[in-house]
Amino acid sequence: MTDTFTRRELIERAALGGVVLSLPGVLAACGGDSGSSGGGEQKLADTLDFSNWQLYIDYDQKTKKRPSLEEFRQKTGVKVNYYEDITDNAILFGKVQRPLAQGQSVGRDIIVMTDNTRFPGLMISKGWVEKLDKDAIPNIKNLQDALAHPSFDKNRDYSLPWQSYMTGIATNTKLTGGKPVTSIEALLEDPKYKGKVTLLTEMADTMSLVMLANGDDPTKVDDASFDKAIKRIQKAVDSGQIRDFTGNEYTGPLAKGDLACCFSWSGDVLQLVSSNENLVWNLPESGGDIATDNMLIPKGGDVFTASTFMNYVYDPKIAAQISVGCSYISPVKGVREEARKIDPKALENPLIFPDEEMLSNVVIFDAEAARNQDYIEKWQALLGT
Amino acid sequence: MSVAVETVGRGRPGALARAFRFARHHVLTLYALLAFSYLLVPIAIVVLFSFNNPKGRFNYIWEGFTLDNWRHWNAYPGLTDAMKVSLEVAAISSVVATALGTLIALALVRYGFRGRGATNLFIFLPMSTPEIVLGASLLALFLNLHYATGFVTIVIAHIMFNVSYVVVTVKARLVGFDRHLEEAAMDLGANEWATFRKVTLPLIAPGILAAALLAFALSVDDFVITYFNSGATTTFPLFVWATATRGVPPQVNVMGTVIFVVALSLMAGNILLQRRREGRAP
Amino acid sequence: MAFLHRHRWLTPYLLLTPGLAWLAIFFAIPLGFLAYQSLQEGTFEFGYSFAWAWGNYWEAIDRYHEQLVRSFLYAGLATVIALVVSYPLVYWIAFRGGRWKNLFLLAIIAPFFVTYLIRTLAWQTILADNGFVLDTMRTLGLVGDDFRFLATSTAVVAGITYNFLPFMALPLYVSLEQIDHRLIEAAQDLYASRLQAFLRVTLPLSLPGIFAGTLLTFIPAAGDFINAQLLGSPREKMIGNVIQSKFLQLIDYPAAAALSFVLMAAILVAVAVYARALGTEKLTG
Repeated sequence: MTDTFTRRELIERAALGGVVLSLPGVLAACGGDSGSSGGGEQKLADTLDFSNWQLYIDYDQKTKKRPSLEEFRQKTGVKVNYYEDITDNAILFGKVQRPLAQGQSVGRDIIVMTDNTRFPGLMISKGWVEKLDKDAIPNIKNLQDALAHPSFDKNRDYSLPWQSYMTGIATNTKLTGGKPVTSIEALLEDPKYKGKVTLLTEMADTMSLVMLANGDDPTKVDDASFDKAIKRIQKAVDSGQIRDFTGNEYTGPLAKGDLACCFSWSGDVLQLVSSNENLVWNLPESGGDIATDNMLIPKGGDVFTASTFMNYVYDPKIAAQISVGCSYISPVKGVREEARKIDPKALENPLIFPDEEMLSNVVIFDAEAARNQDYIEKWQALLGT
Repeated sequence: MSVAVETVGRGRPGALARAFRFARHHVLTLYALLAFSYLLVPIAIVVLFSFNNPKGRFNYIWEGFTLDNWRHWNAYPGLTDAMKVSLEVAAISSVVATALGTLIALALVRYGFRGRGATNLFIFLPMSTPEIVLGASLLALFLNLHYATGFVTIVIAHIMFNVSYVVVTVKARLVGFDRHLEEAAMDLGANEWATFRKVTLPLIAPGILAAALLAFALSVDDFVITYFNSGATTTFPLFVWATATRGVPPQVNVMGTVIFVVALSLMAGNILLQRRREGRAP
Repeated sequence: MAFLHRHRWLTPYLLLTPGLAWLAIFFAIPLGFLAYQSLQEGTFEFGYSFAWAWGNYWEAIDRYHEQLVRSFLYAGLATVIALVVSYPLVYWIAFRGGRWKNLFLLAIIAPFFVTYLIRTLAWQTILADNGFVLDTMRTLGLVGDDFRFLATSTAVVAGITYNFLPFMALPLYVSLEQIDHRLIEAAQDLYASRLQAFLRVTLPLSLPGIFAGTLLTFIPAAGDFINAQLLGSPREKMIGNVIQSKFLQLIDYPAAAALSFVLMAAILVAVAVYARALGTEKLTG
């Protein structure tokens, strides 16, 4: 009836993981050569438990299956138990921190967290994630250079990107006289849109856009630039310009015409346009931000099987399949060429395949700032809590 | 009755007076109708949008009528399983919580004992505790006991927070209960247990039923405490919340409609059956 | 049975044991852990340590009394409105419902089957700025052009009221249904008008139900967060939202725990005062 592990299974899993990890180390120590996985028996598990965000992988409507996962099974014999149960980084962290803090497994081999929040860095610094088995991931060389050395995981020892997305402005042109809103100034201060604007609850995304509009650099946040942006937003909140801060919930009001414009994530708008053709999405003139969701192996997960899976999805062909299938930006090099073979029309979509100009107009929020408790407190105070 | 008293010796009242009296007599029914409409208007929207044909993933705007969602009611993987789990959890937890809570209510209302006042206040604590800290602390307990979270822990958690609601509800019934009826029964020779079974229980049954319904509703709708203590099991609210990030599929509306209709039909059927049985008795 | 006869005093304890034991294990122990957490200090990154940090409580009251007061205000309003809305409805079910009473009770909790999120999305559809309802109200001149319902305090209170209506209605029903109709007839036979019969007979007899219903509505509503989150702007956030934020975003478990206890204490004080005002002996037997 349930999918839970019994205590015995948890211990066995942890033991197996421990053996897999320690055996190469022991052999290396004996043999004196470093880095090799030695003669350790690395067996793939029967199943892989993968938790991800909703609709973040290719999905075939007709067969009701996920082609990339089916192919993985055919290739390796590993059945992927795919759970679309992640809705929010903070909520996920809130749930897994207690078992992990007590050294217990959370029943997952791979989870996915966003890199511009404090949580991936926190998981790593607390030692709650397993090190990737890089020997099982030769395809790691396909990782795009821009994502190869993030500040929270400098050598990509613990994490690998899954997909990326951008934050920009979505406009309901019916309420703005036919023109998309392209400036933060208009969004925050134009009285025409009073009460018809929302921002995102995600600090990194909202602050990046506002800081860029202020002429500051979100990749290197300091107290002055942070406070300046907070002040600006606070003014807009106090004047009633900002209706609310939302997570995904902006999609409803946006589609129904309650909002003139709002901060929004690139993936959502592609779907909303079919409900309301007046919707457009664009980066602000001053620039937007880009964030990446990362795969992590929580402690107790099967490192070898998870790493093998990661290697599989870093094959450009599979990466293209996934990226085109779920309409998000792939972190893998060479995906463009493969996508041409699958769905050439997708290449024309800048939200899946942003061009150089677009990529130069987005920044990645300062990861240290994302973990700064003071900044988070100020941000939450802005939200009313 | 009062109507007869008014007309005797006065002649037939005029049409206006009759209409007025009709309205006054039925104003309560009219109000009840309005109140039910208010309660059920979101359900109407849910039912309506189960027939919607959204081109994208978001089911916010009416885009056209279709029976596809109903034909492919099982198209969204995991939905029916989640609903099944929710109903099972709710059934078990509401029955157990009702039993436990009714016993507590009986003790609190009918007996004086040391610590009665404290127990009365203690019962209010689970309801006053914010769900997020309660859920997280309960998870800590399970982890310390090395008990794997899943279906059983969800049921345990639901029973825990339901007991208080049952106690308060059943207490309201017991307080107004006329003890003389019990005394009369015992005077007529019934022992305590028979009195309880044949006099007390039937008379407080509506209270117990109402408490059970409330507990069921609470259980089937719970999100936060369930989220922390569910392990890998998914209940309906957890499932729906997850889909909300990318658009709730119309099949969720279909499921909601089905449950609503089935529940009401079962209850209506039960009532009609009882009427038949009563009709047959001599 | 004979044993129980001789040891009468045991009976209440026996009745209490199963339920209280359950609560002792699955509520009191977690609550104890929470209390322990509330007195810790430190940060998540570098670890917490127990330090009798009563300052957490003081800080909770000092910084968030605005949200606390607002929560009690919203919960109180919602409770009163729920009472006013449910009473006539429940009266009708109890007195005129006939054999279909249970069906109507089921209909009252029916919205809970579709989960909170779906109910709220449905209301957001109905009350959208440019939806049918608001458009009609604007045409009729009932509201101004830039009136909106969503993301206001009205929406939050309305949301709380709607979602807690069954919590008020069911206990009310339990008490109203019990009233012997002959008492009301007797009052009328003694020349009371219908209104007088209601005020002097029905209403007082339904007081236990009112007491129970108001408590079952107010107490959980005070700690609610979800209505303010989905239906309110930053100016409408309640104490539940603050606790969520402390727990999830700030990962400040001592603060979240301390705030929770402050809330619980405030609620208990309010309940004690309320019970005293209504006259507990009549209500709790």
